[in-house]
Amino acid sequence: MLDRNAIGRSSPPTLNEVEKGAIRRFAEAIGDYNPIYYDEEYARASGYPTIVAPPTFPASFHSAADLRELLGVGIKSLLHAEQTFEYERPIFAGDRIFVATRVADVLERSGPAGGKMDVAVIEDEGRDEEGTVVFRARRTLVIRAQKEGA
Amino acid sequence: MPARKLYFETVRVGDELPALAKSPVDRVQLARYAGASGDFNPVHVDELYARSIGMPSVYAPGMLVMGFLGQLVSDWARGAQLRKYTVKFVKIVWPGDTVVCKGRVTDRWGENGRYFAEIDLWAENQKGELVMKGSATIQMFYSLEDETRQRSGQPPIMVDVPRESLLTAVPEPAPAPQTVAAAADKKPAPARPATPAAKKPSAKAAGTKKK
Repeated sequence: MLDRNAIGRSSPPTLNEVEKGAIRRFAEAIGDYNPIYYDEEYARASGYPTIVAPPTFPASFHSAADLRELLGVGIKSLLHAEQTFEYERPIFAGDRIFVATRVADVLERSGPAGGKMDVAVIEDEGRDEEGTVVFRARRTLVIRAQKEGA
Repeated sequence: MPARKLYFETVRVGDELPALAKSPVDRVQLARYAGASGDFNPVHVDELYARSIGMPSVYAPGMLVMGFLGQLVSDWARGAQLRKYTVKFVKIVWPGDTVVCKGRVTDRWGENGRYFAEIDLWAENQKGELVMKGSATIQMFYSLEDETRQRSGQPPIMVDVPRESLLTAVPEPAPAPQTVAAAADKKPAPARPATPAAKKPSAKAAGTKKK
């Protein structure tokens, strides 16, 4: 079983500057050619102040979190099982977003084969320079711990 | 010219999003996504590493597939604001796989001049197997008139629309395929509460009906 003391551990907010080129490369990697991700004029004509970031763009944000450190166990692998984003507003080119990561939960779930598996829920929160929340992200990770002995 | 926008007044429960068939995933795309996302986990980009841990090859990060489904929603819901977007990763997507993204409106409601719809989302591979499922909540203007008013600083159009899922029986979709070999979560999330076949002849009427 994982260390339940990990719950609540967090990393300090880390600045992420949202660059147009980064948005473009991210959208290109997905194969999404919606002009609001590439073309400033088009984005404005669509009612946005500037180029918009795709919904999953926060996946590219850095945080200071080292999950292995936060979770405090020998981790063999992490399997991404679920992902949720909540948005207060779209993310735009030029945004300066501070991302903090915390361990929201550590629990045991029944695995596919009937056994137990360890699950960690990690939350990222992105705030703008005024401290207003822009998005929240929640990752559910299945953890395979390093074998101890057998 | 920006594309037409989606307004609440035209959205109906049961509306299907036009399916989005992505190009087959290849290793170049995996490399690009690794670079763009900053996630250089070698299982996605290093063939030798992936084989060394017993995988047949590198495979797509779940977040790439979540990006595909995000494209489906954003393309359909132009002008809307995505409020919530959630997925479960069901099956691995391999190089060569073609992912098809699908969605259906399951609910709509309006309160205090704010209008929302909920959309069930799922993605299948070329064999028709479910690889991802999830949902999105979007917020829209009620109509073009509502948007025009709000953009000129006037108050929104106020129409109280109760959650339609409470009123209407939606024909039960069948996106869930045979085997859902979820590595992480054995029990598939319960299907959306299928209002047990309430055969209301009036159920087709638009959603402003009071219960």
